[in-house]
Amino acid sequence: MPAIVVAAVVGVLFFLGYRYYSAFLAERIYALDPAFVTPAHRFNDGMDFVPTNKHVVFGHHFTSVAGAAPIVGPAIAVFWGWGPALAWIVLGTIFAAGVHDFGSIAVSLRHGAKNIGTIAHDVISRRARTLFLFIIFFLLTLVNAVFAVVIGNLFVANPGAVIPIVVEIPLAIFIGQYIYRTRSAALVPSIIGVIGLYLLIWVGQQYPVDLAPLAEAIGFDNPRNLWVILLFAYTFVASRLPVWMLLQPRDYINSHQLFIALGVIGLGMLVGWNTIVAPVVNDVPEGSPSIFPFLFITIACGAISGFHSLVSSGTTAKQIDKETDARYVGYMGAVGEGSLATGAVLAATAGVVATTADWQALYPDFATASGGAVGNFVNGVGVFANNLGVPLDLAIIFAAVVVISFAATTMDTGVRLQRYIVQEIAEVAGWHKLARNLTLSGIVAVAIPLAMALIPGGGDAGYTFGVLWRLFGTTNQLTAGLALTVIAVWILRMKRNPLPAVIPLVFLLAMTTWALFSQFWDFVQADAWSERWVLAPLDAIIFVLAIWLIVEAVGALRGGSARAYDEMGSPLDDDTTTTSTR
Amino acid sequence: MSVRVVLVRPWTDAHGGTGCCSGEARDGICFDSRVDGPLEHDAEVELVAAAYLRLRDELPELDVQIVSANNTAFLLPSVFRTVRRRRGAVAALREMNRATTAGSVLVDGERVGSVLELGVEGVVTEVRRRAARLTG
Repeated sequence: MPAIVVAAVVGVLFFLGYRYYSAFLAERIYALDPAFVTPAHRFNDGMDFVPTNKHVVFGHHFTSVAGAAPIVGPAIAVFWGWGPALAWIVLGTIFAAGVHDFGSIAVSLRHGAKNIGTIAHDVISRRARTLFLFIIFFLLTLVNAVFAVVIGNLFVANPGAVIPIVVEIPLAIFIGQYIYRTRSAALVPSIIGVIGLYLLIWVGQQYPVDLAPLAEAIGFDNPRNLWVILLFAYTFVASRLPVWMLLQPRDYINSHQLFIALGVIGLGMLVGWNTIVAPVVNDVPEGSPSIFPFLFITIACGAISGFHSLVSSGTTAKQIDKETDARYVGYMGAVGEGSLATGAVLAATAGVVATTADWQALYPDFATASGGAVGNFVNGVGVFANNLGVPLDLAIIFAAVVVISFAATTMDTGVRLQRYIVQEIAEVAGWHKLARNLTLSGIVAVAIPLAMALIPGGGDAGYTFGVLWRLFGTTNQLTAGLALTVIAVWILRMKRNPLPAVIPLVFLLAMTTWALFSQFWDFVQADAWSERWVLAPLDAIIFVLAIWLIVEAVGALRGGSARAYDEMGSPLDDDTTTTSTR
Repeated sequence: MSVRVVLVRPWTDAHGGTGCCSGEARDGICFDSRVDGPLEHDAEVELVAAAYLRLRDELPELDVQIVSANNTAFLLPSVFRTVRRRRGAVAALREMNRATTAGSVLVDGERVGSVLELGVEGVVTEVRRRAARLTG
C-alpha cells in the first residue's frame, strides 16, 4: 500500500478524533466554560501568566512536545508489523493522549495553573508528589541514557555526521550572541545557520570522524562508549549555561529543521509514491517480546506521553486565554505528536528498503530490530529526500544530522531538568547542600544516566534499545498514569463520567505492570551480571513505583481525597481557583 | 476585526528546550520556586511586561499578544499572511524577518520599533498612532 495513502487515512482519523471526541470531552467531561476566568487573566503579570491567542499557545506547546522521542519508539515497534504500531498510535492519540494532554491543561486551569505534581499532592495525597518526583527522576535518567546511546550509535554508524553536529554548537552560540548583542532579527541568522549546517554535511562526508582507534587505545571495546562520555561531559557544561546562550539558538535552528524534515517526509512520500514493504502483522520469531504488553510501552511518545502533562500544566496552562482553548491546544498537541510518530512508522516501513525480504532482513529479531531502528528511520528519510533529488549518501547524512540535532537538544534539556529534579528531591529529603549546590546536583544528574548508558552487554547496540528504551517507556506511561489519575479524580469530583480518563489509565497501568513483571523475571534469569544486578533492581524499583501509583489511584478514585469541588471543577477551599465569570 | 499588536519576548526570556521528554517543562516539575527560579526574570522581560500591561489597560480595543521569538510556527505565517495582503510578498518576507527581533512591537504584522528602545510610554504612543492609522 502506498505510504501516502496510509498517511492520508491517519490524517482523516485524527481529524475525526479532534472534531468529535475532543468536542465530547470539552462539553460533557471537562465541561469547559468560555466565561471561566483563566489563571492567565487572574494573575496576568505580562511574564508568566499571559492570556494568549490559542494559535500562539499552540505554537509554543507543539514545539515544546515534538522532538526525537516519537521517532525512536515507532521505528522499533514496527517489528510487530506496521498495523499494530499504527493502530496503537492512532487509538492512543485519539483516546489516550488527547484525553491526557487536553485534560492536563483543563485540570491545571481549574487549579490556578499549578503543575500536575502539585495538584497530585492536593487532590490525591501528600505522598503523590513524592511519587511524582521519583517517576520523573527515573524518566529523565532513562531519557538521558537512551539518547546518549542513540547519538553515540549514530555517530559510529554515520561518522560523516560528526563535523556538522559538533560545529553546530559553536555556530549556535555565535548566532545567539550575535542576535543578543546586536539586537538583530533571528530569522535570517538562523536560516544561515541551517544552510551552514547542511553545507557542513558535505564537509563531514569528506572528513568522517571515527573515534574507534582512539577508543581502542584508551581501552573501550566500543567507540560508542567514548562518544557517550564526551556527550555527558558536554551536557554537564551546556546545562550550566543560560538557556538563551546555546539552547535557544539551537532550538531555533532545529525548529527550521523540524519543518524541513516534515516537508521532506511528506513530499518525498508523495513524489516517490513509496509503498509499505513491511508486513501488516509481522510473524515474529519465537521468544520475541509479545505485542501485549511490550508494544504499548515501546511506543510511549507518539501514542501517549506523560511528559506532555509537565508542559501542559507547567507553562501552557499559564497562557490559556479562554478555557475552551484548552481543547485546541492540548488535543491538537497530541495529534501533532501522533503525526510525527506516523511519519516515523512510514519511514521505517516504506522508505527504508524496496522489498519485504529486505525489510525482514532489517527486522529479523527484536534485538537487531531495536538496535537498528533509528538507523532505519534515518535511511528511510534519506530515501524520501532522495526522491526529491538529493543524492542518497548526502540525504542519509542529512537525516542523521536532523535526528542527532533533536536528540542532542533532548539531552541538553534533559540533563538540565534532571538537575532540577535532583534539587527538588534533595530539598524534600532535607539535603540542603545538594539542593542548593548546582555543581553537585549537576554531577548527580549526569553520573546516574552516564552509568546506565555504559552498562556493558546487550549486543552491538547496547541495552539501550532492547531494554532501557522499554524501561523509559514504562516511566513515561507511569507519568501519564499519574496525570490521568489526577484528571479522573477531578472529573469524579465534578460528578461527571470519569471513564474517558479511567479506561486509558487502567490500560496503561495494566500494560506497564505486566511488562515490568515480565521483564523482571527475564533479568533475574539472565546470565549477564548487568541484567541481574543492575537492570533487575531498576525494573523492580519502577515496578514498586507502579504499584504505589495503583494504590494511590484506587484510593483517590474511591474517595480518598477530601477536597471539595463545585460543579464546574474548581476546588471550593482555594480562593485562587474559584469559578468566576469574566 | 481588531488590530493585533504583538510584543516579541526578549531573547533572554528563554525557559527550556524543545521536544518530547525535554521540552519547556521547568515550571512543570519545580515546586514552590525553590529551585533556581522558574519565576526569575531580567529587566528586559519586566519592561516588555510593563508595556504589555499598559497597552491592555489603555487600549483595550486592541488584541495584544506576547509571543516568543522562537515560536516560529505562529509568528512567521501570521506576519507573512497579514503583511502580504497589504504590501505584497517581498515586503511580507522582509517583515517576517524583522518580526523575529527580540523585543519587537508589531502592529498588524509590521514592526514599528522595539520595546527596549521605545520604552513603555513610547510603545503606547506608537501603537496608538499606528492603530489609528490602520482603523482610519
